[in-house]
Amino acid sequence: MNCWTRRQFGYLAGAACLTGLAPRVARSQAKSRVVVIGGGIGGATVARYLAAGAGTIEVTLVEPKLRYATCFFSSLYLAGMRSFESLTHGYETLAQRYGINVIHDAAATIDPVAKTVALKGGSKLPYDRLVLAPGIAFKFGAIEGYDQAATEIMPHAWIAGPQTELLRRQLESMEDGGLFLIVAPPNPFRCPPGPYERASLVAYYFKQFKPKSKILILDAKDSFFGQELFQDAWARHYPGMIEWLPRQFTGGIKAVDVKHLSVETEGETFKAAVVNFIPPQMAGELTQQAGLADQSGWCPIEPTSFESKLQPGIHIIGDAINSGEMPKSAFLANSQAKVCAFAIAAALTGSDRFAPYLFNTCFTFLAADDAVSDAIAFEPTEGTIKISEILISQVGEDAERRRQVVQAANGWYAAFTHDVFG
Amino acid sequence: MTQTIANGARRIIALLMAISPFVFVAYPGAVAEINRGAQLAAMCASCHRLDGRDEGIPTIIGLDPKKLVETMEAFRSGKRVSQIMNVVARSLSTEEIAALAEYLAVQQRGSERP
Repeated sequence: MNCWTRRQFGYLAGAACLTGLAPRVARSQAKSRVVVIGGGIGGATVARYLAAGAGTIEVTLVEPKLRYATCFFSSLYLAGMRSFESLTHGYETLAQRYGINVIHDAAATIDPVAKTVALKGGSKLPYDRLVLAPGIAFKFGAIEGYDQAATEIMPHAWIAGPQTELLRRQLESMEDGGLFLIVAPPNPFRCPPGPYERASLVAYYFKQFKPKSKILILDAKDSFFGQELFQDAWARHYPGMIEWLPRQFTGGIKAVDVKHLSVETEGETFKAAVVNFIPPQMAGELTQQAGLADQSGWCPIEPTSFESKLQPGIHIIGDAINSGEMPKSAFLANSQAKVCAFAIAAALTGSDRFAPYLFNTCFTFLAADDAVSDAIAFEPTEGTIKISEILISQVGEDAERRRQVVQAANGWYAAFTHDVFG
Repeated sequence: MTQTIANGARRIIALLMAISPFVFVAYPGAVAEINRGAQLAAMCASCHRLDGRDEGIPTIIGLDPKKLVETMEAFRSGKRVSQIMNVVARSLSTEEIAALAEYLAVQQRGSERP
């Protein structure tokens, strides 16, 4: 369907661009029911903005965990610069202030015909609209020897929680002079600057406490986001400590051996003291079984409503989607969630709908007093989403400017998590 | 003058109603503009707290709308430099900035919506 772009678009009453449901006049009596599966950044945001609407939508949020730990800023915890507690957020405000029905359970199956979600605990939730914010899942088996059990020896620490704490313990108990090996995944994956920020911050920790240690990044790619910025920072802050080997050098990652803590590439086997293996990724739980993901492993969506292109009535937001030029970031999950909430509200209640606004900023730490950022605006176009404006930090910026980004990043974390969890 | 009255009416509507980003009542034109402001402000809330608290990123509520428009114009032209705000200002239309300024101007400390 030919929808609008930001520049062409003025104001549209209702939701003519949503498939499968004509705009309805607001109903004063019966409440529409929206079920949100997944209480991460995208899921919590969409639930909050739907519940804060005109009060005509009943919102249920399904999330197994009692508290959510943010992946963003988790490498600050790995470096000893932040407590794990400071990364975690509960659902109390969403339940109490916004009246969201928070159910701590996991979704088992979706019936798109009956419009119900069955939970593992046994109950069944009917919905008018369903939102999935499942995040990522790992392609276990893509690399020989790396399966679920291997994560206990070589943590991925790419979904924040016990994995992140395990990696921190391993880094703490590592002897000075050890090798910390990071395996960086192929595109697309959650948080493009993430593996390299992690290398930077662990180097910051090593520099203070284990200065003879080294970091090796074995990359499934030949280049990465912000590469010049990182390599400049590594040379300035941690000379000789971090080595990055692209795929064209190693021939690619072939296998892991958890017993010997080694990673095998085409031409060489690397043995390390601590291995952080970040596996290849795909859309999270339920998306594959429910027929929401395509052959790419990610979920195709309508760019102005985030409604599935494969299953009408089901919306998908966050890292699980195949999102044109949008990177997989928490900031964008939050941005997409708002666009999705306004589209659903328009479809269910007939409320106003405007040109969707999608924006991303990633704050990336290179050291305690050195951070960089990017700012990207996006525009939905025919069937996909493209970058319309972009600015990225540059090599050679003065130290004061970088310190200001650190300050902005910390302010952003507080405001952002407040926006998501209340 | 007409503009002033229209702005005044919008403000009164905004103040009187405990509105949300998806309100549907009388005065559709004015309300639509407020809703547009509210939906755009939701995007600002990813960085700027809309309850007036400032934890390192300045608050943007309760500001004179004319001043906010001028500031955004300066970000758009590059006269004021801020990587993030330069991109934000360039990706919003003049009408969107006006709607946003009107909405943010009438928000009060501690009365955050949603």
